[in-house]
Amino acid sequence: MPWSRITQSHAAHDGDRIITYKEAIGEAIDQAMEYDPRVFAIGLDANDKFGVFGTMLNLTHKERVIGTPISENAMTGVALGAALSGLRPIMIHLRVDFMMVAMDQIVNYVAKWRYMFQGQVKVPLVIRAVIGRGWGSGAQHSGTLQSLFTHIPGLKVMMPSSPYDVKGLFLAAVKDDYPVIFIEHRWLYKNTGHVPKEMYCLPIGKGHIVRQGNRLTVVATSIAVIDTLAACKDNDLDVEVLDPRTLKPLDEELILQSVAKTGRLLVVDYDFPRCGFASEVCALVAEKGFQYLRGPVQRLTFPECSMPASGVLEKAFYPSSARIATRIREILK
Amino acid sequence: MSSEQIALPDRTNCVRLLRMMREIRQFEERIITLYPTDVMVTPVHLHIGQEAAPVGVCAHLTPADTIFFTHRTHGPALAKGLSMRKLMAELYGRTTGCSRGYGGSMHVVDPEHGMLGSSSIVGGGIAMGVGSALASKQMGRDWISVSYFGDGATDAGIFWESLNFAALKSVPVLFLCENNQLSNVMPKSEHLSVELANAAGAFMPASSVDGTDVLAVHEAAGRAIRRVREEKRPVFLECRTKRWMKHQGIERDDLPWNPVDREKDCPIRKLEQRLSEAGWMTAETIHDMARGIEKQIDDAVEFARQSPFPAEDELIREV
Repeated sequence: MPWSRITQSHAAHDGDRIITYKEAIGEAIDQAMEYDPRVFAIGLDANDKFGVFGTMLNLTHKERVIGTPISENAMTGVALGAALSGLRPIMIHLRVDFMMVAMDQIVNYVAKWRYMFQGQVKVPLVIRAVIGRGWGSGAQHSGTLQSLFTHIPGLKVMMPSSPYDVKGLFLAAVKDDYPVIFIEHRWLYKNTGHVPKEMYCLPIGKGHIVRQGNRLTVVATSIAVIDTLAACKDNDLDVEVLDPRTLKPLDEELILQSVAKTGRLLVVDYDFPRCGFASEVCALVAEKGFQYLRGPVQRLTFPECSMPASGVLEKAFYPSSARIATRIREILK
Repeated sequence: MSSEQIALPDRTNCVRLLRMMREIRQFEERIITLYPTDVMVTPVHLHIGQEAAPVGVCAHLTPADTIFFTHRTHGPALAKGLSMRKLMAELYGRTTGCSRGYGGSMHVVDPEHGMLGSSSIVGGGIAMGVGSALASKQMGRDWISVSYFGDGATDAGIFWESLNFAALKSVPVLFLCENNQLSNVMPKSEHLSVELANAAGAFMPASSVDGTDVLAVHEAAGRAIRRVREEKRPVFLECRTKRWMKHQGIERDDLPWNPVDREKDCPIRKLEQRLSEAGWMTAETIHDMARGIEKQIDDAVEFARQSPFPAEDELIREV
């Protein structure tokens, strides 16, 4: 299929066709499957009545959705073998926690296949990882883990925060001949925004400034973008908010440009702190943008423990727009 | 079934089987000669003694059929059609190697001959073979896929997961277990509690064959592959064989629980005897064949030696 004909990036970010994030991802999957018969979806409960949190309920080609046994590791190998043989699989994990069972295949195979064989075989494989907190879901059902994937050479990692981005990046991921880890926070599913009806691909590795400001650059990912925007709006903060959209490849230039303007950096990333994505962005700015800095680089992440179940502890665990605002005010004091 | 009971295929086929087994044997014997000189930059897992399995199976495959094998690559790779030049150059770490020097002995690729990449982590390739068969089925193609692995891989969960899924979805894949009855150095009796063909038989048609006899393998694999192609379903075949060499490296295996009779257990010797009895080969024609193969290996070595190494600035590519 001539994926090259799909528009690269869509100029009209504004428009009046307002749909939810969930509808946007569903539309992208449906259009990809409609456009290219090589695209199929595979995963545990991918074809059940809940339709992957409602994202895959109204597909035109339901016959190309394969529900699987609880065999995540083998199913990832199956998806890889299918990708190498000419299909374009979309693999689905309802919780990123379950994906850990498949880390052998993801890290040792999927990520390395193009490198070991120098592109003589292609790996057009998208792995959807749904993340997010539940309501007392606890340590094994609330993982995020984007940093883990970003660490591995050979994997692209996308974490769109808006309905517009989720559609454009998903189609870009399906079009791409490299493996992509596509991470969706399920608390974003109900959010709304303008999404063009036609197919479009966003460039991979380009972030964008979602809010202009002068005194501090906040680099935030996924739902942390939404929380940061709320924090800035409610408190009228003069802050620039940057959404990298893809964690790898990373739009280093945009981050450095922004920090050159503001002189300060805070990274808000809902993942564990050690060797995390937030640490990576801080390292980038410390290495290549030290001369711009007027204060220490800062991170706001999960604490160094697993997710608790009890509401009281959950509240203490998760960052929020209120905590982001407090942190920003401290930095700008 | 002993080889005496198996009718010889036609003469051309028989000579082809012998030639391919000899190519693998002699290619690896050359590795043994060259290895101490450090011209090869990669750990090797030799196939010597086990040649009947890849040769008997691959004789029934077309270039379009896909195959996913393990760290012990040289046998199935050559049998499936990888050129000696490309394989030797890969062992030498050169850009003309099948994986352009990025893979080494354990990671070989040749898409033109259905080799979409081999894995050195035991077990994982099994699932990829199933995925490839799923692709063939979904695209309505005729080619089949082979998941090629050793008995050690059957200890891994992914083996059982793959059997189950392949059976559930009825995809055209041959599960080929080259059972040398060793998982590294551990005997099969200590790492596996079942007879493989029995256990796999719960999921799909499964059988077991003397893997030191290429005629037996050729016949059984022919039957199994015909079923995979015609019935578009998974089939399991075990080839019971013997590992002559250590798990890794160029030394003979000396494990007390792995006795090898290099006269009795040699697939090449067995076939040569049958062909001599049939009057199709003589000591002289066998000698000529061996000399021809040596020349081919000389050429591959020379090709590898003359080929360039990758440049340092090509380190970060395809990530």
